[in-house]
Amino acid sequence: MAVVVKKVELNWVDRTYVIPVLKGMAITIGHFFRQIFTPSRKRFTVQYPDWKREPAPGFRGLHELKRFEDGSIKCVACFMCAEACPARCITIEADEFGDLNRLQGFAEKRPKNFQIDMLRCIYCGMCEEACPKDAIWLRSDYEQASYDRLGMLFGKWDLMNTYADKDGKARITQDPTPSVPRAPGKA
Amino acid sequence: MEHFAQLLHLSPAMAWMVVKLIIAFAAPLVLAAVLTWVERRGAAMIQDRIGPNRAAILGRWRLLGLVQLAADGIKFFLKEDLVTRDANKTLFWLAPFMAFVPAMMGFAVIPFGRSFVENGTAYHLSLLDPGNGMGMLYPMAIGSVAVYGILTASWSSNNKWSILGGMRSSAQMVSYEIGMSVAVLAIFMTTGGYDPHQIIAAQDSVLHWNVVRHFFGFLVFFTCMFAETNRLPFDFAEGESEIVAGFHTEYGSMKFALLQLSEYVHIVVASSLIVTLYFGGWQVPFVKDPAVLLSVLSFAGKVVFFCWVFIWIRWTLPRFRFDQLMFLGWKVMLPLSLANLLVHAYFMHRWG
Repeated sequence: MAVVVKKVELNWVDRTYVIPVLKGMAITIGHFFRQIFTPSRKRFTVQYPDWKREPAPGFRGLHELKRFEDGSIKCVACFMCAEACPARCITIEADEFGDLNRLQGFAEKRPKNFQIDMLRCIYCGMCEEACPKDAIWLRSDYEQASYDRLGMLFGKWDLMNTYADKDGKARITQDPTPSVPRAPGKA
Repeated sequence: MEHFAQLLHLSPAMAWMVVKLIIAFAAPLVLAAVLTWVERRGAAMIQDRIGPNRAAILGRWRLLGLVQLAADGIKFFLKEDLVTRDANKTLFWLAPFMAFVPAMMGFAVIPFGRSFVENGTAYHLSLLDPGNGMGMLYPMAIGSVAVYGILTASWSSNNKWSILGGMRSSAQMVSYEIGMSVAVLAIFMTTGGYDPHQIIAAQDSVLHWNVVRHFFGFLVFFTCMFAETNRLPFDFAEGESEIVAGFHTEYGSMKFALLQLSEYVHIVVASSLIVTLYFGGWQVPFVKDPAVLLSVLSFAGKVVFFCWVFIWIRWTLPRFRFDQLMFLGWKVMLPLSLANLLVHAYFMHRWG
């Protein structure tokens, strides 16, 4: 497809170039002095490692697997998020267990392993939408870097502890609810 | 001065020459080094950014990013010195010096302060004394020699983009040199001499500055200086959007730094040329016979201002297209400077 270049008719002042150039220089020097006389906190740029930026409320960052007050995971391993995920980055291994607890009610499934490949994730928030238990949230954490690819595979415990420090929750590495597999044959 | 010469067991003339040599070499170099910082920092400010400020002495004193100069220097010296396989190695090594040395040499003839007499000896504040017979023709000639460095760099690195950059640079040099020389010719004509001392002496008050009398000549000369220093809007030798990085695509480490530094030395020399030819050199506005130190300060101030203008314009204007440059060089600049010359010649003929 041919691109139509619009011809701009310049008047004789503009065709001398001198006055437009001076105008442009006035604009740039204005920016220069405005930047110099702005205190560094109020400048446009965020000096990243020193000052961190507060993302907008709707920002979708790192995932968090929500837990109940007693620490047990909300996720019931229904695979809805994995199905909804357009990038196919969620891998869930389900784990059956029988002991009911107060908050979980009658849940009998939970993820044994819940893995998100952050290199594939596109942070679309579909998993959030798909989750019937409100167990997976995308929140404002945007600092994700790793020295290798394996480090970008976030497992169940990484995701459960994502915001632990920020929210004042205890970091956990073990599920507090007992996981006693149902004995075979019993209903 | 004589006491100082005795300390070094030199004749006063010799000692003075050494001092001048050190000043004439160190001053453009130091200014060029600082200009790299000014360029990066100023560019950042113009674009509402902050610029280099991470380098710090002992992780604490950042000095507004000035430490970056030392960091750059250390990095350039310690980097691996790569030479491409099919490069002409001799020329590849030689080219940065061929670009750097002419850039430095241009400053030799420019008086950076008022001449003074002490104990019956006249001391001149320029490396080459006035009356050396070369006058302002010398920096003009040397300035265009620097393009050989760029051409050599581009040719020897055996890279098609580099060669394109070099060819563009030389074509640009050809199309601008004539307009520039004719503009300067008009100054030689009205001044009655091509010695920088004569030119400065003729500009003894602000109204006699050549920028007032030769305004169009100044426009041409100023524009051509951008082409001469390979700066935006005329940096065709290194148009990174079209030809990767132009003539220095294959250069790394200190060789690249030398090419880059020669550009900044060029800016310093070009600014001092502009100041000498059009802004009264070391003359201080509204002061009849300035003291030596004041004259040096005045010259330095003017040069620093024009260095800043070079940077300022670089971050204001986009790069010209090549045919636009050719149009500007041959069809605008050359006729303009010729007309300038003719008008001055006519008025000189009319009123003497």
